[in-house]
Amino acid sequence: MDRIDRRAFLKATTAAGGAIIAAPVLFDGWLTFAGTEKAGYFEKEFGITDALCKKVLAEALSKGGDFADLYFEHTISNSLGLEDKKVDRAYTSVNLGVGIRTVKGDQVGYGFTQELTEKSMMAAAAMAATITNGSATPVAGKFTAVKTGDYYPLTGTKPVPLAPRLSLVENTAGKCFARSNYIIKTIARFGDGRKRIMVVTSDGAKAEDLLPGSALSAMVTVERDGRKEQFWFSRGGRRDFSYYTDDIAKEVADGVVDGAVTLLDAVAVPAGEIPVVFGPGFPGVLLHEAVGHGFEADFNRKKTSIYSTMMGQKVAEPMVTVVDDGTWPNARGSINFDDEGTPSQKTAIVEKGILKSYLHDRISAKYYGLSSTGNGRRENYANYPIPRMRNTYILPGPNKPQEIIESVKKGIYIQDVSNGQVNIGQGDFAFYVSQGRLIEDGKLGAPIKDVNIMGSGPKLLRDITMVADDLKLGWSGTSTCGKDGQSVPVDAGMPTVLVRSLTVGGTKKQGA
Amino acid sequence: MNKQMYDLCKWVLDAVGKAGAKDSRVGLSKSRLVEIQYRDKKPEIIKQATTLQMGIDLFVAGRYSSQNTCDLRKDALKEFISDAVSTTKLIAEDQYRTLPAPKYYKGRADIDLQIADASIDDLSAEQKHTIVKAAENAAWSAGGDKVVTVEAGFNDEFDESVTLTSNGFSGDTMSTNFSVGVSVSVRDDDNRRPIAYDYAECHFYKKLPNPETIGANAARKAIAKLGAKKIDTATLPIIIENQIAPRIIKGFFEALDGRNIYRKQSFLADKKGQKIGSDKFVLVDDPLILEGLGSRLYDGDGFAAKKRTIIEAGVLKDFYIDWYYSRKLGCEPTSGSTGNMIVPAGVRSVDEIIKDLGKGILVTDFLGGNSNPTTGDFSVGIFGQFFEGGKIVYPVSEMNIADNHLKFWHKLAECANDPWLYSEWRTPSMVFSDVVVSGV
Repeated sequence: MDRIDRRAFLKATTAAGGAIIAAPVLFDGWLTFAGTEKAGYFEKEFGITDALCKKVLAEALSKGGDFADLYFEHTISNSLGLEDKKVDRAYTSVNLGVGIRTVKGDQVGYGFTQELTEKSMMAAAAMAATITNGSATPVAGKFTAVKTGDYYPLTGTKPVPLAPRLSLVENTAGKCFARSNYIIKTIARFGDGRKRIMVVTSDGAKAEDLLPGSALSAMVTVERDGRKEQFWFSRGGRRDFSYYTDDIAKEVADGVVDGAVTLLDAVAVPAGEIPVVFGPGFPGVLLHEAVGHGFEADFNRKKTSIYSTMMGQKVAEPMVTVVDDGTWPNARGSINFDDEGTPSQKTAIVEKGILKSYLHDRISAKYYGLSSTGNGRRENYANYPIPRMRNTYILPGPNKPQEIIESVKKGIYIQDVSNGQVNIGQGDFAFYVSQGRLIEDGKLGAPIKDVNIMGSGPKLLRDITMVADDLKLGWSGTSTCGKDGQSVPVDAGMPTVLVRSLTVGGTKKQGA
Repeated sequence: MNKQMYDLCKWVLDAVGKAGAKDSRVGLSKSRLVEIQYRDKKPEIIKQATTLQMGIDLFVAGRYSSQNTCDLRKDALKEFISDAVSTTKLIAEDQYRTLPAPKYYKGRADIDLQIADASIDDLSAEQKHTIVKAAENAAWSAGGDKVVTVEAGFNDEFDESVTLTSNGFSGDTMSTNFSVGVSVSVRDDDNRRPIAYDYAECHFYKKLPNPETIGANAARKAIAKLGAKKIDTATLPIIIENQIAPRIIKGFFEALDGRNIYRKQSFLADKKGQKIGSDKFVLVDDPLILEGLGSRLYDGDGFAAKKRTIIEAGVLKDFYIDWYYSRKLGCEPTSGSTGNMIVPAGVRSVDEIIKDLGKGILVTDFLGGNSNPTTGDFSVGIFGQFFEGGKIVYPVSEMNIADNHLKFWHKLAECANDPWLYSEWRTPSMVFSDVVVSGV
């Protein structure tokens, strides 16, 4: 379809209040998909019919295999950056392609192409088919739309132009400068992406979606008496622009400035094993690293996870229930269906202290004789899906936050975490504390920062002794998990939790 | 130069000009990759594809934007360019955003960096499978009955790029990469399953080490992790192994970036010419080494690549200032890109150093951690081998080191004679004295 015709059509249909087409369009400076409907996009824009899908899938299964699938993707990402009190840089990225996978047992053949033509797709399918060497497997006669929930409904059909986004970023930076005289630099950024996907499987499933993702973030550097500190803060999720009100700009500005100013008083952190209280929200990265990755089923199927022999066993106290939830409305890790077309769900990994379920994709589910938990995810069409987390958190427990802090004579309290990592086989994990407090005689004391905390996953689960009732998700809108070279959006959360002891990587020997 | 790629870049450059952008930079990269991975003696993943990516930097009426797309149909590109120019006009003016002065493009070395292996297409699929099988079999043999699973892989990649600017820059690259990697998981007595890996990457297929060596090394490293324990918090000398040493340098390195200096997020901003480490701390950036994985003839701005000494005998000599931030900082640009990063090797082996030190930790892996470029504070988890009486005694895990870079690099006592050459960071094992290691 010619671009001028499309623009004219958009203008006419928008003015008339009718349905609009879905194709990419520049709307007063903002490149986006014009529409929000999910079904039919790839057929309308690229001529990807069911008949063509069937032909390509047949090629992918021409040498046999259990199943094959097609993953079409068209993504538009935009971001705006502010460095010197004005938005002086803009970035746009467009990604388009299809990934074609042939699966036999736990073996995967994978090809992808950026050209959505029959010739290119058939070549990629032929590549995927090389994983097997048998006789052809039939493809389903017709494709049926996968029924799912809608965990990130988009409001309205009319795109939002560039101008209010510029104002949002400048407004946020202005609020930062207004909040403290110690600020010597503010960086602000707004990013917004929309991803259209379509999954078609050889066993007859077809799933189409439009996934939004956006975040407003700020970083400030503060200086007082020659001491400098930096802090970063953001808010976002699977949100459209209507979320970014003045209140959100204020929340980001307050969060980043107060965080940075607090760090000006940070003290040296003790080194060694001490009790640790995790505050509510993004410190839930603890669960993501210490528990979540070890429960991804590929690591267990391959027997490389320390949890691979613990299914059904007691791994924690009864007040500990850990879930991986793809259905939390507007959360960054939420998905209506996974990248294999399996509907999303809320999966209890640990239920009342008992290990209940791994996180499965189709390959591991078949291996264990179970259904997929909807955790088969991939970064984009250039990658095949593997088990990945969505939003991982501990359910609320019986304690009050204050009661937990008061129970600790000497320890640390964690308010914010920047990153983490796990060693799946040994179960050792680490996460980096960007902001926290000392706890002395049951009270929060001096601020702390820049400390790595380590522990063993199974021991950590056993050492969770108190869980509060104040569950929060992180909502940073930027949290991303890396595995096998693939990054996917996730979120993590928790209520206030006490862990009996962890190794704190400080610089000061205890008692020194 | 790939003429088809050049022609498309030129077409885009012209289209951008017609759409109203006074200046622009257009880059097109093409990658063809093959990935073969085996697990437990059968193919687990076979992947092959070709990708194209175009990047366009626009300078429109004193305003700047950067665009990326892989939809290279000319009709789609025409729309994309028109949209991008329109958007750029709507953001704030930035007087510092321009293409570099062409004088910085001059002086490009007239040499063949030897980074493309013409025989890449001669390597058959069968040969690739044979390499992977050999690496995997060696790991199984060396690991014995402790092995839970082995993953082995072979990747090859053929990359081409073309970059043009409206003020006269023209550059193109062609390179190949081959890599072999093996990961081995072993079972410990307490059900822990330590994993270790070994890998190598080169521009030339024939320069790869023997795949059997890589497989056996991975197994040996995994076995060495069995029975790991946490020791008491102590102040000890540590030796950071060659392959992982770049991780600790990169935390320091962030503060050399002109962007962080401008943003007041660099603890090194006012330290040029000052002693920021021991005499043993030397860091050289040489983008012109033949066959180097970081070798290049020009940087991201198009500046001709040059060898630079960044740190000499512990004195900070130079920063990484690209064109844009040089204008904002009011200084001469250096380069915003790295080449081959070299820490010169010492004369003694790690074994000799361990014998000499008596007691300490040989750090073989990091876990988690981070570094704050504004303050220089860092903290990172470590795994490794505790040595005492000049001998490795047992493995350690779940421990941590933390310090400030401005203190830590003064503790660099020695570099070993074992530079790791299969990376753009060519680092030997590095010895640090009196480091607080957190444990029990």
